[in-house]
Amino acid sequence: MRVEYINPFVEAAFDILKEVLGDDVQRGELYLKSTSKAVMGVAAFVGLAGNVEGRVLFDMSMETALAIASEMNGETLTTLDDLGKATITELANMITAQAVTKLHDLGFTFDLTPPAIFTGENMEITDNEVEALIVPVIVKQGKIEINVAVRERT
Amino acid sequence: MNALEDKVESTVVEKIENVDYKMVTFSLAGKDYSIDIMKVREISKATHFTYVPNSLPYVKGVYNLRGDIISIIDLRTMFNLPSVKSEKDGSDGSDEIIILRLDDYLLGIIVDSIDKVVGISSRTIQPPHPIFGDINIKFIQGVVEKDSKLYIILDVESIFGQDAEDVEVTSVDFHQNEVFNENKPEQLNMGFISETLRTFSKFNVTDLNNKWVEKRFNEWKNLKGNSSKDLQLHSEADSEEFLSRFYSPDTGRFWSDDYRNLVYPFLNDIPGGSIRVWNPGCGKGYETYSIAALLSDKFKDSSIKIWANDKDLMSISNAPNLVVDKQTLPEYMDNYVIPVNNRFQFSKNIKDIILFEYHDITHPNTFPEVDIIIARDVLSFLGYSEQLRMINEFKEKLKADGILIIGRNEELPDNEWKRINGNNITVYKKIV
Repeated sequence: MRVEYINPFVEAAFDILKEVLGDDVQRGELYLKSTSKAVMGVAAFVGLAGNVEGRVLFDMSMETALAIASEMNGETLTTLDDLGKATITELANMITAQAVTKLHDLGFTFDLTPPAIFTGENMEITDNEVEALIVPVIVKQGKIEINVAVRERT
Repeated sequence: MNALEDKVESTVVEKIENVDYKMVTFSLAGKDYSIDIMKVREISKATHFTYVPNSLPYVKGVYNLRGDIISIIDLRTMFNLPSVKSEKDGSDGSDEIIILRLDDYLLGIIVDSIDKVVGISSRTIQPPHPIFGDINIKFIQGVVEKDSKLYIILDVESIFGQDAEDVEVTSVDFHQNEVFNENKPEQLNMGFISETLRTFSKFNVTDLNNKWVEKRFNEWKNLKGNSSKDLQLHSEADSEEFLSRFYSPDTGRFWSDDYRNLVYPFLNDIPGGSIRVWNPGCGKGYETYSIAALLSDKFKDSSIKIWANDKDLMSISNAPNLVVDKQTLPEYMDNYVIPVNNRFQFSKNIKDIILFEYHDITHPNTFPEVDIIIARDVLSFLGYSEQLRMINEFKEKLKADGILIIGRNEELPDNEWKRINGNNITVYKKIV
């Protein structure tokens, strides 16, 4: 992944999560991955298009998703209902949109697709020929893995 | 005697008359190509294809052919030929398309101009020859001469077939160096050295670098004495000291004027126009900027593109905006830097040709074929099977007349690679 793309995603994730969940946000070590990946339970997905092609995947466990949705809505959710799903989707959208805005300021043009959310157990995501940057973020509600795969259109 | 001549003549006649293979011929970037007529359904002219987002770059779009929706592929883009779309006589701007019938689907390919149908004898088809360097040889079924024109017959099944992506791993004469279980203390020590180099420096002793390691081991003995204990590498520092002579000139800094002049002549065979370079393991980017400046000097009117990758995030993250002091800059870079607060940064025209990527080269490498690969002292730090895979990948990615530069103390199996002579530099071309 192009070096210039990395920081905007990391910063956006950090800023937005701090804003909506409070100050206790820690960043894990970034790494690259290209094999199929087990999804923890809830995965929000935003596609990227334009001069690049790719996607951003926000992956977390059901408990984490519930805790985050509860925190953001100021009420305790017990199941991931429509409100909960919409909240997680919105979080994914906010982070990606801010990253894309930062990238735009640097001169890179990206378009977003509307976010989608996947829930379920024992899911696995396989996209062949794609190398993803993994940004693990630890908040007090649990761990969110942000999986960014972007490549230049040649 | 006469009888013999008659016989020869009759076989020649027979050869000519025996037309059992017809092909549709067309031109692409000034060369003549052809496709087996049995694979061609029809020929068409069309324009205004429907663009499909997120499709591969060479997919021009889809097209409605009397109710059948077919994908349209731009053969020029697919084969990385320069995409100068000449405004042809067909002033309506429509493209000439050959509709192919593959196993169970139709596919349209855009070519420059369709010529005619030519009948030949399949016996006259010759195997592909490496001089047709624009197109990967595995896509070429053969070459045939007809009416003093040479036609390259494309193997459409292997180009567009479903399993086209399966890359066969050829067996090469290349081994991991396993010299354990020997009774000689000499070899045992050597085995320990290999083992500790791997542990401390991730350096893997294989046929790639075996000669150097043996030579260095003998030097090491003279330096450290003969007792096994003194010979062994006890720490990362020992291991790095052992490897200190391994690295190629100007590792981790800009190439000196001398080294630049050493590389320069090897670029003579590279055709200009569009030059693509792969620089895996670029580290902090010093090497990549040196290459960029060198190529910009050498190929003034060409479009240059360098893919530089490293899997060390700390090293590569500053590469796109590298700022350096005047004294570290060699003379040949003077034209390519601009002053920033008493220090220097690279100018936009140099930055624009480099794409720095945080990328692990053992993951899929998605960029097109390249003219130059510069991977000095990169392979030795990969595991044995990864080394094999990368050497294969280099072969896949390198154009027929391209060059590969590896570390000065590294070497490749000579049944697949042809070494070009040079001092202090290891340059290869692939044998096709």
